[in-house]
Amino acid sequence: MSALTLASVSRWYGNVVAVNDVSFEVGPGITGLLGPNGAGKTTLLHMMAGFLAPSAGEVRLDDQPTWRHPAIYRQVGFVPEREAVYPFLTGRQFVLASARLQGIDDPAAATDRAIEMVDLRDASKRAIGGYSKGMRQRVKVAASLVHDPGVLILDEPFNGMDPRQRLHMMDLLRSMASEGRTILFSSHILEEVERLSDRVLVVVAGRLAASGDFRRIRRLMTDRPHRFTIRSSDDRALGRALLAHPAVEAVELRDNALSVRTGDYGALTRAIAVAAREANASLLELRPADESLESVFSYLVRR
Amino acid sequence: MIVTLAAVTLRGLLNRRRTLLLVLAGVLMVGVAALSRLAEGTDADALQFTARLLADFGLGVLLPLVAVIVGTATIGSELEDGTIIYLLAKPIPRLLIVAVKAVIAWLLVTLLGSPAFLVSGVIGTGGDADLGIAYAVAAAVGALEYTTVFLALSLLTSRALVIGLAYVVIWEGVVAGLFAGTRILSVRQHALAVADALAGDGAITAELSVGIGLAMAIGVAALAFALAVRRLQTVELRGDTA
Repeated sequence: MSALTLASVSRWYGNVVAVNDVSFEVGPGITGLLGPNGAGKTTLLHMMAGFLAPSAGEVRLDDQPTWRHPAIYRQVGFVPEREAVYPFLTGRQFVLASARLQGIDDPAAATDRAIEMVDLRDASKRAIGGYSKGMRQRVKVAASLVHDPGVLILDEPFNGMDPRQRLHMMDLLRSMASEGRTILFSSHILEEVERLSDRVLVVVAGRLAASGDFRRIRRLMTDRPHRFTIRSSDDRALGRALLAHPAVEAVELRDNALSVRTGDYGALTRAIAVAAREANASLLELRPADESLESVFSYLVRR
Repeated sequence: MIVTLAAVTLRGLLNRRRTLLLVLAGVLMVGVAALSRLAEGTDADALQFTARLLADFGLGVLLPLVAVIVGTATIGSELEDGTIIYLLAKPIPRLLIVAVKAVIAWLLVTLLGSPAFLVSGVIGTGGDADLGIAYAVAAAVGALEYTTVFLALSLLTSRALVIGLAYVVIWEGVVAGLFAGTRILSVRQHALAVADALAGDGAITAELSVGIGLAMAIGVAALAFALAVRRLQTVELRGDTA
């Protein structure tokens, strides 16, 4: 059982602050690190894996700082986001080299086991240079878990994987977590985190915007005011009908479209069709105006 | 562990077309030695020409060229493409990583350089192996110094290849040639001192004694090695560039 702890950690590059005074602890189970691109997820993960020094604060694995302590890698497996893997090695040679460099007892058996776990046996004798993006991700994962680490850190592990491979990887991570391992993975896709992790850390602009149980954070995300843009054959009549509905907080007519704000996402989506029928209007377009992850995260930060 | 580290390093270097093209530079020197032998001339002329060919082109151009390409690629290319993370994410002392990589790079540069010196020496002098052997050993000494310096340079800057080539042309080629006082800091002069001591027939006249040349070569290589270890211990991988 290992835990990663960040205490008031900041990291800046010149005048740019990439991570700003972040504190949290990651223990056994699966934790998702969620945030838009450029939020500081990779910087955080690299500090946790001992590849970057914090400018302030401290990152520890149990009671040992991660920075400049290569011994931690007996306990830690790391999957980088970058695709680069030695192109001249076959998948099996790469995983076997990792096993040998870890100094484990039976590297060949551990290699076979790791390749089997990521479902890459058929391609393991081919050079990595010819692998697809998804296959590279899987061989990286195999190399990172060949020494059976207690802590696994994965930076955007599902990038490039097809849906079947994603499901397989999710099952693998779940089964590793059920054995008491600490697994931390980053993603900018809400659904990935939702499906896999019980605990989530939300990072926005280098700051920890939210942390804790995913369902609670998801509720914060869905209960926020939503804004929709609607175009119809009769926007004015539809606007009147919608305004009569209690779920609707405001309706604005602008740029030949309706902008509708609601505090109850579900109720509004049910009310729109009814209101359109009442107003005798045909719906031409209906789209959420603020559903980007960035807007969701900004809302969380304001909270 | 050491064998795996060495094997991955060697395969990475041999996989680069640039490294294999360096064999051609050695072949070029052997070709020039053969052509000079075909030309009319006395044995003394041939010995003099071959010695100059090995000293000026061999130690001054061929060896540093091979060393700068191999030395800067040994760790530098892995830092550049990000694959170094697979070595740094292992519980291996950074000193061991640098040591294994430096030895492999040195052996490869020696293997790509020394045989060309030996063969050129034998052909150029009409079958006498002494000059070739002296230069082959000197090339191995020079290779150690050049390779370690360029390996350390690749950990200090991402433009190690360009800076290394500039160093070879400006410092080794121009400054050390014009100003006698700077020769104590010239890798080429260190290697030349070794060749002079081994050949021992007056064909080579080194500016430095073999003792100083060897001491400087080992000292500079040790300093560069220590610098490289220190740098690898503190190198940061940001994720976007590594």
